[in-house]
Amino acid sequence: MTHSDLSRRLLSVEHVSMSFRRYDVGVDSLKELIVRAFRRDLHKNKFQCLKDVSFQVDRGEAVALIGKNGAGKSTLLKIVSGILPPEQGSVFCGGRITPLLRLGAGFDSNASGLENIYLNAAILGYPKKEIDEKLLPIIEFSELGDFIRAPIKTYSSGMLARLGFSVAVNLPSEILLIDEILAVGDLAFSRKCYRKLDELRANGTTFLIVSHSESVRRYCSRAIWLDGGTIRADGDIDQIFKEYSACMLQKTEFKTAP
Amino acid sequence: MTKKRNFFQALFLLRLLVQRNIKNQYYRSVIGILWTVLNPLLNMLVMAFVFSVLFGSETDGLDYPVYILAGNIIFNVMRSSTASALPCLVQQRDMLLKTKVHAEIFPISNVLSSLVTFFFSLIALLLVMILRAMSGFYSFHWQIILFPLLLPALSLFSAGIAFFLSALYVFFRDIKHIYSVILTLWTYLTPLFYSLKKLQSETAARFIRLNPMYHFVTLFRTMLVGTVPPLSSFALCYLFSAISIALGCLFFSLLRPRIAARL
Repeated sequence: MTHSDLSRRLLSVEHVSMSFRRYDVGVDSLKELIVRAFRRDLHKNKFQCLKDVSFQVDRGEAVALIGKNGAGKSTLLKIVSGILPPEQGSVFCGGRITPLLRLGAGFDSNASGLENIYLNAAILGYPKKEIDEKLLPIIEFSELGDFIRAPIKTYSSGMLARLGFSVAVNLPSEILLIDEILAVGDLAFSRKCYRKLDELRANGTTFLIVSHSESVRRYCSRAIWLDGGTIRADGDIDQIFKEYSACMLQKTEFKTAP
Repeated sequence: MTKKRNFFQALFLLRLLVQRNIKNQYYRSVIGILWTVLNPLLNMLVMAFVFSVLFGSETDGLDYPVYILAGNIIFNVMRSSTASALPCLVQQRDMLLKTKVHAEIFPISNVLSSLVTFFFSLIALLLVMILRAMSGFYSFHWQIILFPLLLPALSLFSAGIAFFLSALYVFFRDIKHIYSVILTLWTYLTPLFYSLKKLQSETAARFIRLNPMYHFVTLFRTMLVGTVPPLSSFALCYLFSAISIALGCLFFSLLRPRIAARL
């Protein structure tokens, strides 16, 4: 690997494996554990969720993670963002990651929109100074106007989503991790969101997007297809979506056939 | 540089979380923050009314209402911080699963919130002390101002338990019921409304002396009576808190990698 490769590389996932321990029946109480221990009824089975997954993402790239439900996409996203520690392997990241897995994490319904901007951004890992700097753009983008001073329990769900989205995309970040492209608010606002994401792309923000729909082609040129916890294909998005849809169609046909 | 930045960022988040806790605690009530003062005051009134019949008016050289209130506000720091920390990680499931926020920050914020509430309760204690001093039952002593020396020990002791319980609750959801029983037992095993001297049972007294909360409560009352507590009393309290925080942190850091997967 040459030096220029190193500086271009932003994210590198090396041989990541992850499994969850599952009791046959969920044991989450002490009583249950003791009763089962006495009955020798503690069958654990491991559910292998990711198997030896490796890939690299360069600065400014936009990558789509596709795959059917349960293929391990969201778990991979959590590992990449550092929420879950991987069982094996490692993740290296050379920039600031904003996980946009949930809009408005930590919102407190009794507090005002303004207070929640600070709370949400602080939970996402931003210091006060940076939030102060971006406060006006955030409020402006959310189009909440005077409502920003009202407690957010008076907000509609669309208003809440707008506030959450506005916080997430207006704060500086090198990698944006998105779980499903978020169609937020009404048509006009959702267009604004797409435009904002375009703008971030143009400014060189790296994207990693989990999606089922082909709408991610708007941002991504590369796709990674996860199947059963392993990478089945990695490459040009059009090519991979073609194979992926073919595979999905084949499966449904197979099932509906008599 | 980034370490320093991260540290200040964590402090900032901690401040916001404590603010949120305090605001939400009394949010719905009309008189709001006044409840933090009124609540211990009313509790003390009930207890003073009920128990002064049993135990007389002066206890260990301290006026009985002051005795009760002083014991209770100290015990409440431990009680409220551990009881609120117990479910805190599970309650913040969303944040812990969707953002990179450090899990430790939630139990810590609960302990700090209880500490803030303690200062409001202190106002209640001062009010009672002034009232009792006016009727000649209590006299002020300068030693009261030593009380901040007790607070770090008390907070660390509570934080240790808070770490332990919040992590354990992620795995065993029924410890909530067990802990509420333990808390009740603990309340009665701490001389809050009675006094060890009047207990007249050496075995019981010996047993109660093993209770760390007895030493915290006694240390505070000693100051109110007007004596500078011996260094050994402070040392004992700090020893308890060191053991508690060490075990709590150890337990928390051992379970830490498995918390997100089990939430």
